[in-house]
Amino acid sequence: MTAGSGVALATQGLTKRYGSRVALDGLDLRVPEGVVYGFLGPNGAGKTTTMRILTGLVRQDAGSVELLGRPFGRGDRRRLFDVGALIESPAFYPFLSGRENLRSLAATGAGVPAGRIEELLTLVNLRERANDRVSGYSLGMKQRLGIAASLLSDPRLLLLDEPANGLDPAGIVGMRDTLRALAAAGKTVFVSSHILSEVQQLVDVVGIIAQGRLVREGPVETLLREEGSIRVRVAADEVAAAAATMATVAGAGSVTTELGPEAGWLSVRLDPSRAGEVNRALAGTGIFASRIEAGTNLEALFLGLTASRPAGSQGAAGPPDAPAAAPPTGWKA
Amino acid sequence: MRLLAAHLRKLVRRPASWVTLVLLLALLALIYLALIAGARTSGDPQTALGARLFVTFPAAYELVLTLILGIGGLLAVTYGAAIAGSEWGWGTLKSAVARGESRTRYTLLNYVAVAILVVVGLVVAFLLGVAGSAAGAVVLNSSLDGMGDRDGLLRLPELLARASLALAMNTAFGFAIATVARSQLAGIAVGVGLFFAEGIAGLFLPDVFQWFPFSAASAVTAAGSGAGLGGGGAVVATQLDPDTAIVAVVVWLVVALGITALFTERAEIGG
Repeated sequence: MTAGSGVALATQGLTKRYGSRVALDGLDLRVPEGVVYGFLGPNGAGKTTTMRILTGLVRQDAGSVELLGRPFGRGDRRRLFDVGALIESPAFYPFLSGRENLRSLAATGAGVPAGRIEELLTLVNLRERANDRVSGYSLGMKQRLGIAASLLSDPRLLLLDEPANGLDPAGIVGMRDTLRALAAAGKTVFVSSHILSEVQQLVDVVGIIAQGRLVREGPVETLLREEGSIRVRVAADEVAAAAATMATVAGAGSVTTELGPEAGWLSVRLDPSRAGEVNRALAGTGIFASRIEAGTNLEALFLGLTASRPAGSQGAAGPPDAPAAAPPTGWKA
Repeated sequence: MRLLAAHLRKLVRRPASWVTLVLLLALLALIYLALIAGARTSGDPQTALGARLFVTFPAAYELVLTLILGIGGLLAVTYGAAIAGSEWGWGTLKSAVARGESRTRYTLLNYVAVAILVVVGLVVAFLLGVAGSAAGAVVLNSSLDGMGDRDGLLRLPELLARASLALAMNTAFGFAIATVARSQLAGIAVGVGLFFAEGIAGLFLPDVFQWFPFSAASAVTAAGSGAGLGGGGAVVATQLDPDTAIVAVVVWLVVALGITALFTERAEIGG
């Protein structure tokens, strides 16, 4: 994590209702400067509403927002000169080319340095198609253009709502590379996404919301360690004995046994670094595990915290360590 | 200025701008063809007299403008609605606001750009109309001497300014309706509906409806008042004199732009 000492974005008690539906219910966020912050939540959790409030599109019913160290409220629109945003789907004039759309957008808000548009078209690998009408662009190309648009004024804070939507694998790698580079340069990137494996590779800090409230926030590594688990596979007739042994290590009530196709698997909520200790205890009682998996991933953490795991599923967390991504190669067509 | 220039560039590239202009010119051409052909083939003295009025200068200048106000008034409403509504539908207003742009400034400058193009369209249509009247005069063996009439020519700037204001107001109304509806299609549909509804209602209550926006707009030229086309193109006994009509038009223009600005400023922008 490359966090500086300041806070790029903070909300306190943010509340928003649409009629009787509560979209945000006292949301408290704290996004340090210079990090990539993953903003996660199930559909309808309030992510887009939060993004809209942060960009002045919608006004909160209660609570406060602080952008780049200063309060952001009605009449503070100029604060957004330092913010770049891609909210929901990218919005462009279909009859204009990609380049013309960027020029048109550059005439709004903060000034855009000469040459910036060409620089961004090159960055998102749209230079060759820059003179084509946007109506002929694919979803991924529009998304690239949207990301370029969000970077027009070289913002200190970047708010991206589902930026990976429609991007091909090379595009996702390119986007990740770009966002990491921005954070390394001291800028703050606030990104919501449903692609949790992508988020896990991209972000430094994560905030998970459910039903309009923050349920967990912190550095990804810390959360994964705290929410870690160890899974052990033993013979079916040894499950009960293994559960008792594991409970002596992790405490009573911490062990769950799995049924159905996963029968023979036991899970214990424990720091993954203690997997050897569990194995030793089992071996001490004559039980030899055929497999041990330690760790967790963001998906398991997310599903656990938001209770949005599909009903009936008892599957445990996937493999603890996702394979490393290929080295960033830039944005490919 | 850079935002106004951007809006103008965008509108010039927009197919709707050209479609609207071509439609206006095509309708004008059609009317002239019908007028001239009718005058040559019909034995009806009223038809012949009507055609003569349109090809006799300098009075033809004012009649051409009145004709454009009738057809162009409706097109201005739909054009204004199309431009304003698409900003909501395509989400481009959202992008500008998220960049810290002032909602009111963005929207009103967009309107100004639309109004500028509408005035350009009016001038182009007027030139075509004058050419049509001149061609009609030749075909109907009418004199063209009045074309160079000094008084008639000196009045042209004022007439064009009045017509421009009227069309700008119609555009502002379409703009306001689409802004409130947040939709291109709804804006156009409601705008056209109001245009015709006002014209029809004006047949029954002319004293009241002469003050309404589209009726007042059709009365800003002397030829329009007295027997203007009125809202919806219906021939109503519009009683407003041109100067009073101008005042009414300005009031409606301010109201329409006020509604647009107020609604845009207060709206919650989603989608």
